[in-house]
Amino acid sequence: MEGLRNDGRRWNELRRIHCQLSTSSTNADGSSYIEQGFTKVICNVTGPAEPSNRQRVKQDSATVSCEVYFAAFSGTDRIKRGRNDKKVQELQTAIQKTFDSVILTHLFARSEISISIHILSQDGGTLAACINAATLALIDAGIPMSDYVCACTAGQSTSIFDQEGASPDPWLDVNYLEESDIPSLTVVTVGDSEKIVALSMENKVRIERLEAMIAVGISGCARVRGIMDKEVRRYGKEKLEAEGE
Amino acid sequence: MTSIKRMLADTSGHDAITSKVYIRSAKSGKVTKIVREIYLRTDIPCSSRLCRVCLASAPVDSSNRSRPFILSEKPAGTVAFRYGHYLMPDTNIFLQCMDAIEHKSAFYDVIVLQTVLDEVKNQSLPLYNRLVSLTKSDEKRFYVFHNEFRQETHVRRGQEESINDRNDRAIRVACKWYQTHIQQAVASTGVKPPAIVMLSNDRDNLAKAKSDGVDCINLHDYVKGLANADELLDMISSSLQDQEKKSTRGANVYSEYASISKMNTGVRNGTLHQGTFHTSTYNSLEGTVGVPSFDKHLLIVGLENMNRAIDGDLVVVELLPQDQWKRQSDKLVDQDTLTKNENADVDEVESIVTEKERKALIDEAKRIQRSQDEGQKVQPTAKIIGVVKRNWRSYVGHIDPNSVNRAKSGGQQVVFFRPLDKKIPRIRVFTRQATQLLGQRIVVNIDTWDRNSRFPVGHFVRALGELESKEAETEALLLEYDVQYRPFPKAVLDCLPSVGHDWRVPEDKSDPDWDKRMDLRDLLICSIDPPGCQDIDDALHARQLPNGNCEVGVHIADVSHFVKPNNAMDDEAAQRGTTVYLVDKRIDMLPPLLGTDLCSLKPYVERYAFSVLWEMTPEAQIVNTVFTKSVIKSREAFAYKAAQMRIDDKSQTDPLTQGMRILLMLSKRLRQARMDAGALNLASPEVKVHMESETSDPASIEVKELLETNSLVEEFMLCANISVARRIYEAFPQTAMLRRHGAPPATNFDDLRSQLRARKNLDLRVDSSKALADSLDSCVDPQEPYFNTLVRIIATRCMLPAEYFSSGTQAYPEFRHYGLATDIYTHFTSPIRRYADLAAHRQLAAAIDYEPLDESLYNKNKMDAVVKNINVRHRNAQFAGRASIEYYVGQALKGKSMEQEGFVAKIFSNGFVVFVPKFGIEGTIKVESAKTYDADEYILELEDGKKVVLFDKVNVQVNFVKEQATGRRKTELTLA
Repeated sequence: MEGLRNDGRRWNELRRIHCQLSTSSTNADGSSYIEQGFTKVICNVTGPAEPSNRQRVKQDSATVSCEVYFAAFSGTDRIKRGRNDKKVQELQTAIQKTFDSVILTHLFARSEISISIHILSQDGGTLAACINAATLALIDAGIPMSDYVCACTAGQSTSIFDQEGASPDPWLDVNYLEESDIPSLTVVTVGDSEKIVALSMENKVRIERLEAMIAVGISGCARVRGIMDKEVRRYGKEKLEAEGE
Repeated sequence: MTSIKRMLADTSGHDAITSKVYIRSAKSGKVTKIVREIYLRTDIPCSSRLCRVCLASAPVDSSNRSRPFILSEKPAGTVAFRYGHYLMPDTNIFLQCMDAIEHKSAFYDVIVLQTVLDEVKNQSLPLYNRLVSLTKSDEKRFYVFHNEFRQETHVRRGQEESINDRNDRAIRVACKWYQTHIQQAVASTGVKPPAIVMLSNDRDNLAKAKSDGVDCINLHDYVKGLANADELLDMISSSLQDQEKKSTRGANVYSEYASISKMNTGVRNGTLHQGTFHTSTYNSLEGTVGVPSFDKHLLIVGLENMNRAIDGDLVVVELLPQDQWKRQSDKLVDQDTLTKNENADVDEVESIVTEKERKALIDEAKRIQRSQDEGQKVQPTAKIIGVVKRNWRSYVGHIDPNSVNRAKSGGQQVVFFRPLDKKIPRIRVFTRQATQLLGQRIVVNIDTWDRNSRFPVGHFVRALGELESKEAETEALLLEYDVQYRPFPKAVLDCLPSVGHDWRVPEDKSDPDWDKRMDLRDLLICSIDPPGCQDIDDALHARQLPNGNCEVGVHIADVSHFVKPNNAMDDEAAQRGTTVYLVDKRIDMLPPLLGTDLCSLKPYVERYAFSVLWEMTPEAQIVNTVFTKSVIKSREAFAYKAAQMRIDDKSQTDPLTQGMRILLMLSKRLRQARMDAGALNLASPEVKVHMESETSDPASIEVKELLETNSLVEEFMLCANISVARRIYEAFPQTAMLRRHGAPPATNFDDLRSQLRARKNLDLRVDSSKALADSLDSCVDPQEPYFNTLVRIIATRCMLPAEYFSSGTQAYPEFRHYGLATDIYTHFTSPIRRYADLAAHRQLAAAIDYEPLDESLYNKNKMDAVVKNINVRHRNAQFAGRASIEYYVGQALKGKSMEQEGFVAKIFSNGFVVFVPKFGIEGTIKVESAKTYDADEYILELEDGKKVVLFDKVNVQVNFVKEQATGRRKTELTLA
């Protein structure tokens, strides 16, 4: 209605993104925390280290592994998701494959980089938030990658025409309510290029709408990169100043 | 270690975020707390044409368009607001005065706050929809201002503040902001700024607004300053009007409704029952509620047990103890005789049961006692203890002249309103224009029905015109059956092809329109329709194939080519659902350009069609079926009679006539096959009214005649519908648009069976449609040829109505069409006049890979909504058509009195129903005092010794008189 979404945003606006590096004092090599709207995710990265499991050893490159944990209180209903939950496995595979292709794994033969993600709160765009958090934690851990891996969602209303008879606007960065209402996809790009490393969609959408959705998603990724870059630089500067003293 | 607990300062740049916290409790008792973000912004325009700042920064959408500004530069004003005003009503104003707000004469330039819109939505969905359609039309300049999303006008609920108080405050804040904003906007131009006027009836809110320096006014005071104050004041809900009076009124006459939670638990654990309440057609003191846990309806007897429920309400009932169970009354009772001498104004002296009613009840009780020794037919009775959902709508009727105090001119008085629909009780209406409204057809809405009021209370909406004038009566019946009859809005007409009547099938076959379209222009196709038909949906052809089989084609207008899903035209058509045929008028579902020209399969021109082509053996067995979009050229448009003559004329041997003969031959075989399968041949009393062409006054009435060609067309349409139904069900097993006709429960026929056995010693077998069809055939009386038709008419009334459904909602065996005796059925052949057919067209087009299917036709929920609507519209259209015929029959025979043959169709202890075949009408004859009534033999003996026997022929005097109760001409029958 009147071009406003149910939380007051317009079609091309991101939600508030807050991110932090080195949030964990445990023996993780890198850690991060990200909030996209009310979606909140913590990520810890260890490695490169000797693989815990012999079978995972690759002779010419590092192995990337990923574990995802949903906090039981993270959604509107209290749901415990175990290790073998389908959704957990899907997320793990998606994240693992994405980073496997972007991390310069050939530099660390016979070692393992493991990403562990805790989802504290879900409000739409869970996969996107997980990937962004993992990017920040990997940077914190000092693991070389070709560029930031940025993820963002985009949705599209299913009606053919809007009230004025034109095709409706695609929506950037859908929240939980929108996600349950309309088809949406998650776009993952490398840096602010148009190189898509992962694309995931769980609903049906008309083929002619797809292009607009992906285009909006890519522009969202570029903006997410800007926000993460700013935080990384701020954190880096702070760290250098602290060491200089 | 850095803490991940966020500092508040971190949100810098995002100070425009707040969150909305609310708690939702589900029916299951689960409580969820939900927190949602709200992004506050400063780019929401005020939408006033006076404002340049907002215009410059107006937001754009993805195709770089911004919305036009709505509120005018020079809004209308009143004496109090000389420089014009923008109105800002609060929620209650919309809830209670929507009729006045929609009036053409006032309420322009209105700001609808988001807060208010949301509240209206929560309180009443129909009112919300009306409000939204007001904001969408350009005419009245309603603007939705998203105050909750604008930084300056967002209001946080304070501690201890109630939600209502918070919303009231939000309205005041928005009002104040608008005031300063508009002042700033016009400051440099020297124009006097229009006032922003808050409309409210809440005294507290008004006082607070005054102290905040906000212009505000009570609704009554505002309306009194307008030109047609009396009319507008009448249109305001009475619940606003007599708030003071209410508290002082007399004793409660009805018992209190049970609480919602009590009803919910009761229904869930089976002690209470939920169902739809229906008032009896013959007895206004009796009604029934159908509940799932009982086979038969529960009986509700007496106003006290009906407890303020109105026909169609969804109610919760409690069974009465067994000693209060009764048998269904066999008496005729209408409200008229019961409440003739009451005064609408006097309320205090009323008791729930008037003297006459009491007498009626005692008679009833006596009769029951008499029949008790028989100990049969006693039905469980129940009492309504609560209403889950009201079925109130606008009612058409007139003001009871007896209730008007003519001496009192001016000022408010209370009058009785008599709805046309006899099942609706009379309504008390407060009006200032009582004398003007006498003799007028008017529309009234019900507002409340309090415990202490014997009748519901309503308010005037508008006047349609003089009673019995053709325009007013036609509009009345359209309103009564909720038929959308206004001209098509501009948005709909914009969806039509711009070339209008000059549209042609493109000659160039490389045109994209020709894609996947078969060229059938060389086939000898013709259409056969009723005379004067303009919207030709279907055309046919047949030809002999070399292998001895026949090729038969049914060609249906390709409406889905012109009406694309989800545009304004499609929405309008889906809303209307069907074309409504009245005697002198047709209310189209689609704009006439499409219906009577571009889609209509007119002869001699090329048209797009959706064709079903069969190869049939001479025994009418289908060998092969092909569905395709096509281009056809009809060679001739026949009327039924002309087609019949052409076929019968032996001298005609041209290929077109030959084709028609093949069609006729095949149709007879198809019909025979259908009858063998047990299809029912039912009868309904159909008559046709002929109009005089110059005066368009009804001239004569004739009973419709059936020719062989009628059934020719019918058979092939049925055949096409069945073929299409199978195809779309195969392609879309979950959401195919189908039509079913449930087998009627055997109990529906109980009365008819016992009547037939008692009177004619005939047995009606109802275990299957085949058995029913056969036993109906054997129901003949050699002395009375019409008897069979009469039985068929009565049997038809025992049937369930056929209905549309989406295939996922029923199991396959339930798809059966009882009347047609086929396992699956749909409507495909009349897309110009039925929306269901259009949906079937789209699904079939998708099934044959012609075009993709719109989401609304494969999404279960959306399909359900579409189906529900078209079922209602379809039924209403039928009722409206019948009511129109009834009205014109009355007009045609006005003032005449004649003796006619009639048949007794139903019998009561104090009257009987007579059906007159000549006019297709029926009427009740009341008998003041009958000598004896034999309920088992269905014989009523009158005072003078004359006997009235069920199913027998009687001679009746038919008069058409103006009926007191409805102000409409009705047939009045008396025994001749």
